[in-house]
Amino acid sequence: MDPVLFVEPEYIGPSLPKNTDVFGRGFSEVDYGTGVYKECVHFPLAQYQTLNEIKQNYKWPNPDWWDYSGISDQIKGFEDYPVKGGGSEPFLVYKDLRGHEQAFVDLATHPEIVHFCLEKLFALCYENTVRIYEQIPGNVQLSFVGEDFGSQQMLMYSPNHIREFFIPRMKRMIDLVHKAGAFVFFHSDGAIRDIIPDMVEAGVDVIDPIQWRCEGMDRSELKDSFGDKVIFHGAVDNQYTLAFGTVDEVRQEVVDNINLLGMGGGYIIGPCHNIQPISPPENIIAMYMAGLEYGWT
Amino acid sequence: MNQEIKDLLEAILVGNADLAKESVQAALRISLAPSEILNEGMIAAMAEVGERFERGDYFVPEMLISARAMQQGLSILKPHLQQSDLVSQGKIVIGTVKGDLHDIGKNLVSMMLEGAGFEIVDLGTDVPADRFIGAVTENGADVVAMSALLTTTMPQMKTVIMALDEAELRDRVKVIIGGAPVTESYAQDIGADGYAADASRAVKVTKSLLN
Repeated sequence: MDPVLFVEPEYIGPSLPKNTDVFGRGFSEVDYGTGVYKECVHFPLAQYQTLNEIKQNYKWPNPDWWDYSGISDQIKGFEDYPVKGGGSEPFLVYKDLRGHEQAFVDLATHPEIVHFCLEKLFALCYENTVRIYEQIPGNVQLSFVGEDFGSQQMLMYSPNHIREFFIPRMKRMIDLVHKAGAFVFFHSDGAIRDIIPDMVEAGVDVIDPIQWRCEGMDRSELKDSFGDKVIFHGAVDNQYTLAFGTVDEVRQEVVDNINLLGMGGGYIIGPCHNIQPISPPENIIAMYMAGLEYGWT
Repeated sequence: MNQEIKDLLEAILVGNADLAKESVQAALRISLAPSEILNEGMIAAMAEVGERFERGDYFVPEMLISARAMQQGLSILKPHLQQSDLVSQGKIVIGTVKGDLHDIGKNLVSMMLEGAGFEIVDLGTDVPADRFIGAVTENGADVVAMSALLTTTMPQMKTVIMALDEAELRDRVKVIIGGAPVTESYAQDIGADGYAADASRAVKVTKSLLN
């Protein structure tokens, strides 16, 4: 299986204190028993009540803090591999800037703050993507356009909020990606059935990760409704199947995915998220072996 | 229905915290019974918020701002409530399990339960089993409510249930669980008493367990 080669610039900006990043986010490693997760624990914009306070007190990262000159070297020797680079997921960062709960609340109470910050964050993503494309013209196949919209049951935000805050900027990124001759890899966890038509209309090419156990994410229905317009990616559940299921259940799920999502092509197998450490190795192997066995048409 | 109560209901439904506080003050000024303000204003409003969420009319942001408005109103009302007004539906110890810092779901459940008349002891996030046990003992809790967002932290729920067993508290409390990777069948596997897919349903499950 050919891995996707991910290209990115080198950071050359101001030096950063330990466990912080360019946005001033602070991170801490949280131990869950069998490993650690790096979680954001300092939210640099949480202290501000108004947009003016943010404008006056916060310094946004500058695209010149990254050096793009090494990108062409990153793909040397990998000319036959799919290359992924650029893209955007600004609300993911926004949640860490404001604190997750406040970020949700802001959509309803402080739209001006959300729009201002998302525009800043998106502009950085956009410029980053442009610069990557400039370094290796025509060589990027995939750019990531993401934002998590779904809970297990339904959209977390109303379709109106999604259409106001997220889709217009995504659309600008989608157009940039297509102009560069690349495909848009759209990611959103959860039960997002109600917003998929909007995303397809906006021009996404791949939808990831298809958490089919979530409400409304029926694989057959998705294939029937959107299979002629998009590629499905992921769909091997790792909340239950990979983590707690049997080898037989994993194999069956892969076969079902291939039959349902992959009928006539258009499905790339993968876990719905990073494989979790509690997943038995035999389940992981079973996923890929079943893919190898049944995935050829 | 009294106009002040109507205003309070509306303030909570639209998530206007300032208006919720003002409405409670206005209701108190005309000497409405604090218990009436609580039951017919706040608890009724939060029940409607839950209904709207279940119907798909409200989403997480709307539910959060309503719950925050309710809490602001309640902060004005609380000093006026007599002990006899506070007919607690039960006492709930709630927290996100060890190794997990995610708390939006836990906070929503906590606020919706508070809005339904339960007393809440919120232990926050990254809560180890011994803190759940300590809080149950200290507060005489009726319910332990646990949340986990991560597949990797979900097994901590079983650890807490086993610790409740060992501390001989399991028969005294009901255990409810929730969070993205959690399912009804997982709840049954680990011996929890209830599972809810969202904050509104958590209220219903808790009520049914305590009745």
